[in-house]
Amino acid sequence: MSTTSAVSTSAANLTPPSVAERGSDGLVRKMGREFLLAIYGALRTVKMYPPDNPVVQKTMQEVVRLSNELLRAEREVELRVSGEFIFINATRLRLDLENYASFNRIISAFKDAGVGLCRMRDASSERDWVVFLTLLQNAAVGEPDARLYALGEKLAAAKVTTFELGPSTNLDEEMRQKAKEAAKRTYAQSVSVTKEVINSVRMGRSPNIKKIKRVVQGIVDQVLNEETSLIGLTTLRDYDEYTFTHSVNVCIFSVALGRKLGLTRLQLYDLGVAALMHDIGKARVPLTVLNKPSGLSEDEWRTICGHPWMGVLQLFAMRGQNDIPYRAMIVAFEHHKKTDLSGYPKHLRPRTMSIYSKVVAVADAFDAATSRRAYQTTPLSPADVLQEMRINPHRGMDQVLVKAFMSLVGHYPVGTLVVLDTFEMAIVNAVNAVPEALSRPIVRLISDEQGNLLFPGTIVDLNQMNDSGGYVRTIIKVADPERYAIRVSDYFV
Amino acid sequence: MTSTTIAPHELLEHELPDPPCSPQLVEEMLRQLARAIKTHQLYLPNNPIYQRAIENLHAAFAPIWPHTPEIVLSITEADFRWLGRSVMHESNRSESLPWVFFKDGVRELTMSQGIEDEELVSLLRILQRVRNAAPEEDDLLTLMWEQEFTRLRYRFVDINLDSHGSFDAPPAPPQERTLPIVEDIRAEEEAQPKRTSGIVRMEDLDATLYFLDEKEIDYLRGEVAAEQTIDMPRNVLAIILDIFEVQENEKVREEICGILESYMLNLLSSGAYGSVAYLLGETEQLIGRVGSLAPAHRQRLLALPTSLSDPKVLSQLLEALDQSESIPQQAELDALFDQLRGGVLGTVLGWLKQAQKPELRTALERVATRMASTNTAEMMKLIGSSDVSVAIEAMRRAAELKTAGAVAPLAKVLQQPIVELRQAAAQALAEIGSPGALRLLETALNDDDRDVRVSAVRAIGVRGHRAALPRVEEVVQGKSVKAADLTEKMAYFEAYGALARDAGIPPLDKLLNERNFWGRRATPEIRACAARALGIIGSASALESLRRATNERDPMVRSAINRAMREKT
Repeated sequence: MSTTSAVSTSAANLTPPSVAERGSDGLVRKMGREFLLAIYGALRTVKMYPPDNPVVQKTMQEVVRLSNELLRAEREVELRVSGEFIFINATRLRLDLENYASFNRIISAFKDAGVGLCRMRDASSERDWVVFLTLLQNAAVGEPDARLYALGEKLAAAKVTTFELGPSTNLDEEMRQKAKEAAKRTYAQSVSVTKEVINSVRMGRSPNIKKIKRVVQGIVDQVLNEETSLIGLTTLRDYDEYTFTHSVNVCIFSVALGRKLGLTRLQLYDLGVAALMHDIGKARVPLTVLNKPSGLSEDEWRTICGHPWMGVLQLFAMRGQNDIPYRAMIVAFEHHKKTDLSGYPKHLRPRTMSIYSKVVAVADAFDAATSRRAYQTTPLSPADVLQEMRINPHRGMDQVLVKAFMSLVGHYPVGTLVVLDTFEMAIVNAVNAVPEALSRPIVRLISDEQGNLLFPGTIVDLNQMNDSGGYVRTIIKVADPERYAIRVSDYFV
Repeated sequence: MTSTTIAPHELLEHELPDPPCSPQLVEEMLRQLARAIKTHQLYLPNNPIYQRAIENLHAAFAPIWPHTPEIVLSITEADFRWLGRSVMHESNRSESLPWVFFKDGVRELTMSQGIEDEELVSLLRILQRVRNAAPEEDDLLTLMWEQEFTRLRYRFVDINLDSHGSFDAPPAPPQERTLPIVEDIRAEEEAQPKRTSGIVRMEDLDATLYFLDEKEIDYLRGEVAAEQTIDMPRNVLAIILDIFEVQENEKVREEICGILESYMLNLLSSGAYGSVAYLLGETEQLIGRVGSLAPAHRQRLLALPTSLSDPKVLSQLLEALDQSESIPQQAELDALFDQLRGGVLGTVLGWLKQAQKPELRTALERVATRMASTNTAEMMKLIGSSDVSVAIEAMRRAAELKTAGAVAPLAKVLQQPIVELRQAAAQALAEIGSPGALRLLETALNDDDRDVRVSAVRAIGVRGHRAALPRVEEVVQGKSVKAADLTEKMAYFEAYGALARDAGIPPLDKLLNERNFWGRRATPEIRACAARALGIIGSASALESLRRATNERDPMVRSAINRAMREKT
């Protein structure tokens, strides 16, 4: 039986846990991962070979072994798909480089069949799994409920009764709402603390390092538990608060990308602190220069370009007695360098660029280009920015990281305003968990076919198909929110 | 700060829920926890008192678990409360365990079964750290977050972030209106039949563009692994020094000088000696390379190694090393001391006697020898140091390095009244073994101290310094030898054998085999020494002389004869 999850709340009152659920679930996490990898292997083999093939038999044996082991430890096994996450009982299994492709494949198979959860209370057989996984990959068309019903009927006809299947539950929506509330709180606190830190530095005061650590802890917890809501909030690109929201956004994107790279929680924490502080050197740049819309003199430009090294000096000035934020210093120094170490600032001694700096460079470039600020009153669309980052090697970004970043944010990053072939307008709400559907995100419809504005609008999956096997909706165009006077962030707050 | 109230403790006694077990069990567990925290502060993990405290705490959990899988404690300023009942009350804040949690915002602790197996010691370590922490150091919440407990949950109010923002109200719904979407698209199509910005292209829909292949995954994995091996302090030092060199602004350089000064101390206190060596080495090169260096900055940079070479500062460093849990690698220490200025050798030599840790002593001896080899003038000066231990260690280094140039200062030491000094000088001269050293050792044969004489005569013998034969012969054949102890006698006879060779056989044979005018033999000690000397000569005549004595009955003499013959055959 699984023990209760650990809870770390950053709640300002003792409301139910809102940020993180961590628990004594190491066993489930470990066995769960093995179980899912075995299912992934089995999904592939049943697709490639007939059921009596030895390869299929072997993979099924492994699935049965692991499911029975889990059953013994937990009494029942509930495999639940929610958004881009997979839960075994109450434990969310973490994605990393080793498993993300396989996890996505399983999520995709479950979603295609309209399955939100699969519960087992009794031991299963190899035949049960062969039948189940075969049917799962040959889902009917139609609405999710209809697909689920059809799958249930087929399983019953094949006399497979081990699996109790269910749709996505309201619990998902409740969890999403809770996560969204937690994300909002985390985001707001992060921006506020960043603002306080940068303003303190400007005024020559010593900022509170503990607060910085705490907000990054909040961001890491949030990203590890449910990153979609937090990433959605990065669309809050407030012109007046650009410096602060940008730092927080870069922190969020960096931690989310770091999670994809398989960094541990403490490594994400280090990366998060570094990302949040990457532009701290700008606190030494006069506001008149920083906010100048155009026509920077050579000296002024040089001053702005000095913010990476000024950041290092600033971090030395604001550190506590014991902690030297080494990684933050390195990232502050390197985040405008290209992977061949050209770029600025100039360095003399031989060095190798840190992967953390490369991560922050990607996140920084993306957020900066998609934001409106003093010298960029018209931001580029997220899709165009991604395209540029991908195809222009002169940007000097790590191309593998850019790819990983794209798989994180999708082709249409969260917050992108899009026009659909139905002439509805929508805002991208989340990347699609189905790996092949990166261009078919989850969107919020904000206008109907006649162009009537909707608020808050409804969430739809662009990967959804109609009875004839075609997509219900497809993106035909990315639109400029300003053209339609739409404040994207309103749909995320 | 937000309310800290947790409902149950406001209930009246009779309204409280029935506890699953006696609250006394929880009280006892907390008592043991408090004791364990104290012992953790006072004793090392291998101390029996500490181990007993941990065992007691472990045992205190055992009777609770059969009744409940977890213990949920609410926390007030002075109390731990369990199901509304106070199970620990501490009003004195300096002693109070509840206060340690409360002050950093923790308001509820949930301990799950199994906490005592793996996570309790981590908790004790954190509590100790928090109790000793300075205000700017990490608080309990950060340390608990970093630990990622699985059997310990906690709820807290975030005192640091309480005042920080929230989205006060949801945004007002936008005004109802109709967006000209269709019109826009038509207009765009008419105006620009070719592709316009934002229009979706088929190639964009190729999701495989974003999939990482195995090679790419391996690359990222390698990058992440490499990141963990970066020498952070050195990397940041390189950055700081680069900034110093590239930025010619005096204020910037002034600031960096200050950073380097405090950073060096920080590196020293964290035991990053290799990085300090790097800093000093790079600084020295930088001074030579940067033409535009202001005199004040040059002075401050030059002061970095000088300040560290100051005997008081260096002694602090060595004391810290002696108290630290582990000794840095020899290469790091060598690199650091290589960068220090003259005068350091004396401090290091003085510390060789003071160091408590044998491994530190060994490491410092290597450092000292290394420094002495590159700075013989300093070493020779230190031979004459008024600090006896420094002078002795300097002589040991001279001996180890066989520094012929040290003979002159050693000659002066042989005139010193302090016996230990003369002994060390004699030993050093013996090791050096140069003609000059041996000549000096001849004079040491007349020293008042037996050890000095022994060292001298042994060296003379081993080195075959025949010039000293008359003096040695005089002792061996004279009466003074009788007053010497066996070690000294033996040293003289061995030296005599080595120097006199076959010419020494008749007198030695006489001592071993013949009786004097009154029919007495020499003392067994003298005869044993003579046998030893004959053995050293080792010629056929010498062996013959030994053979003649094989029927000897005195055990000491017989043993010496046998040993001498065995060694030669």
